[in-house]
Amino acid sequence: MESVYLDSVKISEVVVQPDDIFQICNVLAMAGWLALLVSPFFPKLADGVAALAIPVLLAVAYAGLILAFWSRAEGGFDTLPSVMQLFTQPEVALAGWIHYLAFDLFVGAWEVRTARAERIPFLIVIPCLALTFLFGPAGYLAFTALRAARAAIPATSHAGVAQ
Amino acid sequence: MTTDVLMDQSRSFNASFAAEPFRRHPLFAGAALCLVVLMAPTLFAMALDQRTFLDINVWIKPFKFQVALSIYLVTLAWFAGWLPARVTASLWHRIFSMIIVLAISAEMIWILGAAALGVASHFNNSSPLAIALYATMGVLAVVLTSAAPVYGIVILRDRTSRLDPVFRLSVGIGLIATFVLTVAAAGYMSGSGSHFVGGVHSDAGGLAPMGWARDGGDLRVAHFFATHAMHFIPVFGFIAGRLLPAGQGRVAVFAFAGLFVGLVAYTFAEALSGRAFLAMLS
Repeated sequence: MESVYLDSVKISEVVVQPDDIFQICNVLAMAGWLALLVSPFFPKLADGVAALAIPVLLAVAYAGLILAFWSRAEGGFDTLPSVMQLFTQPEVALAGWIHYLAFDLFVGAWEVRTARAERIPFLIVIPCLALTFLFGPAGYLAFTALRAARAAIPATSHAGVAQ
Repeated sequence: MTTDVLMDQSRSFNASFAAEPFRRHPLFAGAALCLVVLMAPTLFAMALDQRTFLDINVWIKPFKFQVALSIYLVTLAWFAGWLPARVTASLWHRIFSMIIVLAISAEMIWILGAAALGVASHFNNSSPLAIALYATMGVLAVVLTSAAPVYGIVILRDRTSRLDPVFRLSVGIGLIATFVLTVAAAGYMSGSGSHFVGGVHSDAGGLAPMGWARDGGDLRVAHFFATHAMHFIPVFGFIAGRLLPAGQGRVAVFAFAGLFVGLVAYTFAEALSGRAFLAMLS
């Protein structure tokens, strides 16, 4: 009778490299952004993929990395050099990267949902999505500016823009 | 007879079976679901982390506790459906349930934290803090196990119950036996400094799927059977209640419970004498 624990030790000796996880997570995030791009055609599906399924998968990877490697990381949140030191450990840097991927995508999905609810044409949301994809908070800022601008314009002229 | 879902063949089995614990005790079922969700990052950490404790991956222990505690919570949620409505609606029951969930949460955080740090959780006497934590978690373990006998006593004393009397007896005895036997077995274990008796103090090469020692005694075997009295005895009682008249069913339940206590005592004595459980399989 062979123990499963021996096996699991063997499994854990098959090293899952941070680079592999990095690649997989990038592909996952990309799939989420593609879902957002085609969201006008499949709004429910896109929302389920980009706001729930993929962020949850990324969150599992993030939480697993933090469980496994946080206690060994040097550095902290208190000073900039401490934070930079945290990111000198590959697994912690990877966790940080997955954090970006997950939250940027989640914000992107929120922008799409909000735009749909507020009847903002999808074409002008796309630049905000591109910015959110590349530079997270900058995209959020652009989308917020867009909403503020639309709120400032009197409702009647919306129709004029649309026509 | 009863209208319980277990015995109601007409209902769609799968959907109601998964949703039933949430109807019976939303807090316990929800807490169990949280533990199940927690398994995902724990298993992911296991796949990445090379560190071992007693020669096995540090994340195996948290995973085992997530499995065990979620089974415990779902079982309690199921049995909660057989408590009188005045009890489930009462303030004390709500507060008691919260205490149980808080105790389980604290145990889980302690065990996950120890795994993250790569140190022992149980049997950790390396520092005053570790000793204090271990002692506190011992108290909380008794607290979380106390839900079983409390439910058992309430179910036994409920004369308005619609449950089959033989089954009801077995549920009550099983729940109370879980507490008494677990506190005895686990209490002795914690006092003896290790769950291994003789053999190499290593978890590698243990008896699957639990990882019990095969080269010496392992007190966790008795702990396992002790804690599962709440499953074994009611399953027997359910069958006995269907096959036997009430009088004989009752006797059969008492006899089975006696045999089960004997099994726990046997595995306990076997471990104490340094012999492995099911040594013939090794």
